[in-house]
Amino acid sequence: MASKLARREAGIGYLLLAPSLFGILAFLVLPILVVIWLSLNSWDLLSPARYVGLDNFAHVFADRAFLRSLGVTLLFVLLVIPVQTALGLFAATLLSRGLPGSAFLRVIYVIPWICAPLALGVVWKWIFAPTGGALNAVLGANTAWLSDPVLALPAVAAVSIWSQVGYVTLFFMAGLAAVPDQLLDAARIDGANAWQTFWQVKLPLLRPTMFFVLVTGVISSFQAFDTIYALTPNGGPQGSTDVIATRIYAEAFQTFNLGRASVMALVLFAVLVLVTLAQQFYFRKRITYDLS
Amino acid sequence: MTFPEPSGPGLPEPGGLVPVSTGPGAAGPGPVAPPPAVGSAPAPGTTSGSTTTAARTPSSGRSARLLLNVLTYAILAGGLVLTLAPFVLSVMTAFKSPGQFASQPALTVPAPATIENFLQLFSGDRNFWAPIVVTAQVVLVAVVGQLGFSVLAAYAFARIQFPLRDALFWVYLATMMVPQVVTIIPLYTLFSQLGLRNTFWALVLPFVFGSPYAIFLLREYFRSIPEDLISAARLDGAGTLRILFSIVLPLSRPILATLTIITVVSHWNNFLWPLIITSGRTWQTVTVATAGLQSQYNGNWTLVMAATTIAMAPLLVLFAIFQRNIISSIAITGFK
Repeated sequence: MASKLARREAGIGYLLLAPSLFGILAFLVLPILVVIWLSLNSWDLLSPARYVGLDNFAHVFADRAFLRSLGVTLLFVLLVIPVQTALGLFAATLLSRGLPGSAFLRVIYVIPWICAPLALGVVWKWIFAPTGGALNAVLGANTAWLSDPVLALPAVAAVSIWSQVGYVTLFFMAGLAAVPDQLLDAARIDGANAWQTFWQVKLPLLRPTMFFVLVTGVISSFQAFDTIYALTPNGGPQGSTDVIATRIYAEAFQTFNLGRASVMALVLFAVLVLVTLAQQFYFRKRITYDLS
Repeated sequence: MTFPEPSGPGLPEPGGLVPVSTGPGAAGPGPVAPPPAVGSAPAPGTTSGSTTTAARTPSSGRSARLLLNVLTYAILAGGLVLTLAPFVLSVMTAFKSPGQFASQPALTVPAPATIENFLQLFSGDRNFWAPIVVTAQVVLVAVVGQLGFSVLAAYAFARIQFPLRDALFWVYLATMMVPQVVTIIPLYTLFSQLGLRNTFWALVLPFVFGSPYAIFLLREYFRSIPEDLISAARLDGAGTLRILFSIVLPLSRPILATLTIITVVSHWNNFLWPLIITSGRTWQTVTVATAGLQSQYNGNWTLVMAATTIAMAPLLVLFAIFQRNIISSIAITGFK
């Protein structure tokens, strides 16, 4: 009797699970197996796939365009993450002073983050346009921001920062709001000034927020595609904005080297796993403060 | 993007007791500031920490605070302008005629404003209605299917006993770690082999069966609903689906609202998958159509800005109405 009931319940469980299980197996698990298979084959979708062993790997690691895209991506992340994190923390500190209008401003700052990155990229492409663009009109210049191999990547990074600062600010505000008042009072009584309080009381307590903001920021910056694709198609001037994601796109869907593109995708995956583990390790090692 | 990224370790736990050590000044009195000249304010940020009574005269404290407030507002207002300027300027450009755009500086208000660009966008072969309709359909199917199937799966994981339940849940969790860029090439080959490239099915199938991320959040929420409520209903003879629909779901409105917003935003904005799996105009989404317009009419910025205005307007309206929910949704889920 009891086992019949249990079997019935299990049946209902599997029934409820069936659609999502199919979706996950077909569109997430199976693709991982396929991407590994693809990485060992040469295939352009037209002629039959051909097993080539590790040739794709050898080719990709000797591919100058791919190696350059690794460097470009790293530079992009190094431009975006520190600036975006510092600006977000700074804005959150100012907003947390609780002046009238702070709640309103917090909402405004998030607006770019809700919009399609592709559309924002197109808007900024106009702003950066050498003639008729808003930035040159403001500066009274006629700089070709996006076709200069030196300026293009910082310009692209600036757009990325602009669209994400508000989002980062939200998390730092939540973190700052969670700092207990009695600690701030204690610091004040001990004679700490605002500067000291920030660095020695608030910042250490923001460690979990910092971890979250850095991990999610780094992971998404390593995969950035939409905005960069809109601003600088085809990898930008001399490939100066050709990040890994745009490189994979070109290799897979413009030259249809699906095998080699799959290798690149696997490399990106490996890099992301390593970065996440490294950040995990760094933040675990440092002292954490336990509420007790 | 489409399956939202994992939320990572989540929001910080509130507080944490810190061994208070406020630096060199902690043990004794802090560095003694020279008494300020009459009327001059101490540098912002140093007043509260100064231990000299001289620096704490009410008037200088107040003027320092005032100065600090003015500075804060100045910086925050700068942020406001920088945040909004691209939107305001692009919308202004969308309402200019090409002639006005060519003859006037980029920062001038269109006079007279014209809707010529929008008319052009919706007329003739550009027909921007089609991508709006396609995207709206994708969003609708995604909200109904993805949320519906996610609710069923989350309820099974949260409240029903069956063999391999925990193992399967781990598989679901693990798939959240896989970035889209890894699955997009195999998905493309899969859909090509099935002959589904450039169809409506291709746009929605990978997402419609549920999202591991939504399932994860819903499961957490369902588990927080008191067991007593559910066992009472079961004693009254309610079946699993009845319990789900008349007890669990009504109690889960906040998380359902959050997930609806996330789903709408991520599918309206989705770009890479529709870009790859569609070709031609029939199944273009708004983002793909905007990108296509930009490369086709390169330099015709008034028309292109009309397109970006339309691509962003629905979510901006949604944001204006639901900003409170959206802000708290981000805080809850870290959605992306």
